[in-house]
Amino acid sequence: MTKKTAAAARIFFVDTRFQRMARRPGGVPREKAIARAQVYIEELKPEFADWLNKKLQEMAAAVRRIEGDASQLDEAYESCCQLRDAGAAMGFELTTVISNNLCELLEAIKAGSPYHKETMECHIDALHLTSKAPYCNLRADQVPEMTRGLRRVVERANTSPSTSSK
Amino acid sequence: MNNHTINLGGLAILIADSNSYLRRITHGMLRGFGANKLFEVEHYLGVVQVLTGQKIDVMLCDTRLPPEGGLSLTRTIRRTLGNENRTMPILMMTTDSREATIKMARDAGVNMVIAKPMSPKALYDRLAWIAFTPRNFVDTETYFGPDRRFKIEGYPGGVGRRRGDQAVQVAEEVGPALAQDDIDSLFGAARSGQGQS
Repeated sequence: MTKKTAAAARIFFVDTRFQRMARRPGGVPREKAIARAQVYIEELKPEFADWLNKKLQEMAAAVRRIEGDASQLDEAYESCCQLRDAGAAMGFELTTVISNNLCELLEAIKAGSPYHKETMECHIDALHLTSKAPYCNLRADQVPEMTRGLRRVVERANTSPSTSSK
Repeated sequence: MNNHTINLGGLAILIADSNSYLRRITHGMLRGFGANKLFEVEHYLGVVQVLTGQKIDVMLCDTRLPPEGGLSLTRTIRRTLGNENRTMPILMMTTDSREATIKMARDAGVNMVIAKPMSPKALYDRLAWIAFTPRNFVDTETYFGPDRRFKIEGYPGGVGRRRGDQAVQVAEEVGPALAQDDIDSLFGAARSGQGQS
């Protein structure tokens, strides 16, 4: 089934193998499939603490290397993004909030802002804290002093004279 | 048959994500949905290797897949003539749900975008949408991929959109559906109708 338009576009129908096979009878009903998927995710949770600690070490080392070697920025940024994404998926809200701050700081450095060692270190320390109880189970609004304080640090770093002049 | 049920048994599904933990989560979700033929890769080259040696039925790919990114990979897959995976459904996973990113994904030729972190419901419903809502393919000088002119009226039996989720959007209109004269005459008729009442 092909037709030509005035702009010479070829438009054709595709029923892929995925579509044909996925529509077969005998699949797992939606509600049951979702419940089973959640069970798999729960089973992965105990491994998350180990993964998180390993990733935190990698990220901290990469962030610290930036001071002497700007080429480490991409690796540090990628590690921060991974922490942010996985934290959200596993319900570690504070890990996500703080690693998101760090992502913003690294983006600013990529854009030309200076590297503030203290700003980075306080975020790394906070991230280590969020990997442990009781902080790993808390939401951002349950520790407003910490989250607002870190936010102010990020905003100050992003609006410092040396940043805004660039 | 329940139209809202998808059968993933025997389908080859490729998960391309540099984040090992999120790959495992996605893998777990798909297992829960009944998938039993899953492949995982962490970078662009891994995708190329899998696609070379294996027919893949659907790919879930992260936008930040190193080193080139998932959108570049999608463009390559869609625009390579003679590539048997050219029409393979591609679901793009992203933490960046800004409109500009969604538009870039649409123009690269992805079937659908899903915001990270994904919930099992969101993933199931998007796969069901792709399965039960086939779209034409469009081949032009500048684009090869699913027809970008579509609207999601709701996922099959699904939860609808989350605030951060954006499906691939309808393409921009190239002009008004009505000519300006027609619009003016409609407004004119409406105004004269008001005057009469």
